[in-house]
Amino acid sequence: MRFIHIADVHLGARPDREMPWSAEREKEVFDTFRALIARIQDDPVDILLIAGDLFHRQPLLGKLKEVDYLFRTIPATRIYLSAGNHDYIRKDSSYNNFVWADNVFFFREEEVQVVKDPLLDVFIYGFSYHSREIREDILEGLEAQDENGVHILMAHGGDDRHVPFNVRELLNSGFDYVALGHIHKPSVIVRNRAAYPGALEPIDRDDFGEHGYIEGVWQNGRLSLSFVPFACRSYEQIILEVDETSTQNSLEDALREEIKDRGEENMYRVILHGYRSPDLLLIPERFFPLGQITEVENETRPMYNMEEIRRHYSGTLIGDYINAFQGRELSLVEEKALYYGVQALMETSRVRRY
Amino acid sequence: MKIKKVAIRSFGKINGRTFEVTDGINVLYGENESGKTTFHTFLRCMLYGMARMRGKAAKNDPYTAYEPWDNPAGYGGTLWFEAGGRDYRLTRNFSRERREDALYCETTGESLSVEDGALDKLLGNVSEAVYENTVSVGQLKSVTGPELVRELQNYMAGLGNGADASIDLGRAAQMLKMSRKGYQVQASNREKEMQSLIIQTEDAMTRLEEELRDIRERYKEAREERKRLAPSEKRAGDEVVRSQIAALKRGQFQRNLIFLGLSGLIMLLGIVIHLPLAARLVCFVLALGLFGLGLFFNQRDNEEIRVKEKARENWHSRLSRATSEGRSLKEMFDEKAKTYVNLRDEYQELLEEKNLPGNENVEIEALTLALATIDRLSGNISQDLGERLRMRTSEILEDITGGKYEEVLMDENLRMSVNTQERVVPLERLSRGTLEQIYFALRMAAGEIFAEGEDFPVILDDVFGMYDEERLSGVLRWLERQKRQIIISTCNKRDIETLEKEGISFNRLDL
Repeated sequence: MRFIHIADVHLGARPDREMPWSAEREKEVFDTFRALIARIQDDPVDILLIAGDLFHRQPLLGKLKEVDYLFRTIPATRIYLSAGNHDYIRKDSSYNNFVWADNVFFFREEEVQVVKDPLLDVFIYGFSYHSREIREDILEGLEAQDENGVHILMAHGGDDRHVPFNVRELLNSGFDYVALGHIHKPSVIVRNRAAYPGALEPIDRDDFGEHGYIEGVWQNGRLSLSFVPFACRSYEQIILEVDETSTQNSLEDALREEIKDRGEENMYRVILHGYRSPDLLLIPERFFPLGQITEVENETRPMYNMEEIRRHYSGTLIGDYINAFQGRELSLVEEKALYYGVQALMETSRVRRY
Repeated sequence: MKIKKVAIRSFGKINGRTFEVTDGINVLYGENESGKTTFHTFLRCMLYGMARMRGKAAKNDPYTAYEPWDNPAGYGGTLWFEAGGRDYRLTRNFSRERREDALYCETTGESLSVEDGALDKLLGNVSEAVYENTVSVGQLKSVTGPELVRELQNYMAGLGNGADASIDLGRAAQMLKMSRKGYQVQASNREKEMQSLIIQTEDAMTRLEEELRDIRERYKEAREERKRLAPSEKRAGDEVVRSQIAALKRGQFQRNLIFLGLSGLIMLLGIVIHLPLAARLVCFVLALGLFGLGLFFNQRDNEEIRVKEKARENWHSRLSRATSEGRSLKEMFDEKAKTYVNLRDEYQELLEEKNLPGNENVEIEALTLALATIDRLSGNISQDLGERLRMRTSEILEDITGGKYEEVLMDENLRMSVNTQERVVPLERLSRGTLEQIYFALRMAAGEIFAEGEDFPVILDDVFGMYDEERLSGVLRWLERQKRQIIISTCNKRDIETLEKEGISFNRLDL
């Protein structure tokens, strides 16, 4: 038995709204899902699990028809689908009266339902959200049926406000695989037993790293899982190491180089890190045009030994300035203010400091 | 604090030299390049240690500059001084391999730890920066007149702002404001972007609301149409209409039967029974008439049925049109209503995101805090400090010029002028010699104010080069009257000759 497990496709999402690539990303979210269906068409698996949030918001009837059409193109695959917290089944939801293709099973209820696969000894358990949140652990005490076969539980959530379930307990209750959804970062919770495939395409700038789907093979009573990268781009983080020889231009060059190496199609968060030469005035906004940059975080500090400076300048304005920030735990703003002020006072001073 | 003895073991170009320093005026004499600056640097490094710089900058730092050529292991020396009525001996070795900082109180026989701040305590509120600004007085560096004026004005303003003549509050504030401006532009761009998204979403919602209203209106119309078409007192239902049509058809059939039968019968009578020709003719005409009448009635009935059926058909199609339109409008309404709900969610999210502080906000807040703190601190200091500095500078200037200049003035733009007995003269109009005198007065005043109570020596490094004889005498006489220890370094024999001529006692140290 071979299956593909996806979740959090978020069709209809518009990532990075204020960025120029937003519209393209919206399209790519759909395209990648279509591409996955095309791949299944070429190389059919037995089962496709979609563990919630196929849609980013309430699905329109038209979109359901489109998705249903795609499902009809893979008749050899049975699709098990549940609604998550984003596409939860409202009273007026299009999910309610929708009639799916014959190869689709939609978990309509908020209580866990179990359904046996028509062709294989595989039992799929699942439920759908009927509201934005389910704060109760509705999976507590759930046990797999006492039947021979593979028992797969689809569970969307896992945090405080979205069914705070305990995966290990569920695995002890007879489930062979817990197909998770809701967390956008792909992660294996228990090796070959429980995993989040993550979002198929990254949906916002915090969805770092590779994205794709999970492929599972059940063979000789054992399950083996593999993660298959499938997204067309990713959000990445670039840490630019800054030292006292760095200049605005050298950092821009380094960033350009790094983006070229790691793929110009990707979106980057840039973090400037290290100790900069005190006379370097960084202009972070100049980094934005160098690629698809979502944000620039400047964590650099001027290369000062504050204690030494404080001693040296005690009794003068610089000394008083440093003293104004001493003797307490500094907030991020205060710490930055300390460095900004000292830098301004020292670097504009008329004599070359030591 | 008073310096008693300086023993340089190895420091720059000076090797194994000892200088006994006395109270009152000491003159350190040496040719150019003989090591006067080295001597002063040695003093400073003894008192404040030698900070090393990292990386590239280390190539030019004092450590490298004064690393002895011949005896690197002996890099350092010993300083004897008096502070708070006690005698101390401070020995330092600056070399990397044999670092040593030993402070010993000769009065109590106690060893003290430099590392734990015992020396800092003895130096009181005179930090290295204060020392550089007030205790140790170097030459004015500028060559040309305007530069000199600016340097002097900056000194006065800087000192007034907090004991550091090199501070330039204006430029510091400008630098901070410039950085802040950059982040503000970034933040406002982001905000504008968000705002335009929010407005776009609002517009889309408004449009959708209108569409929804419109659809609801049309749906209502369709429903009313259906209601109008429904059977009522005025309007017979479909069943009734159908039975009416059937009845009409039945009546037509019966009537046709009667007329046809009658006319046939009469015709038959006319043919079968032997009647006179005229009577036969009458029968024939009668039958024809009856047939015609039947035909007429049939036609009339047909017309009536046709109208009824047409009406029924018409009604049917209107009803089904109204029904199907109602259904499709309902569907359209549902889809658009869902789109509207999604849009509203998106709108909420945008509002939330807009209110989220961006990265820039932290920087802006930090820069604002830095500006406010500098403002507060310099405001605290400069209010009366600047004024005290100006007053004392004026007094000293009056003293050393024999009353020629009475007062130093500074306007809000930091432009300085001096008040002679007759008029106010801007600095630009004064000779270099006078500017040097003002500078001297300023430094002396700063020393008194900022190193207050510490009784530090005054160290003058080659500052009288530009003085004429009269000015030099005035300054030296003033120095003699001070109760402080004074170390004058010079390469000019004239300084010594003037001291001798004025009968001022001094201790001569030769390099």
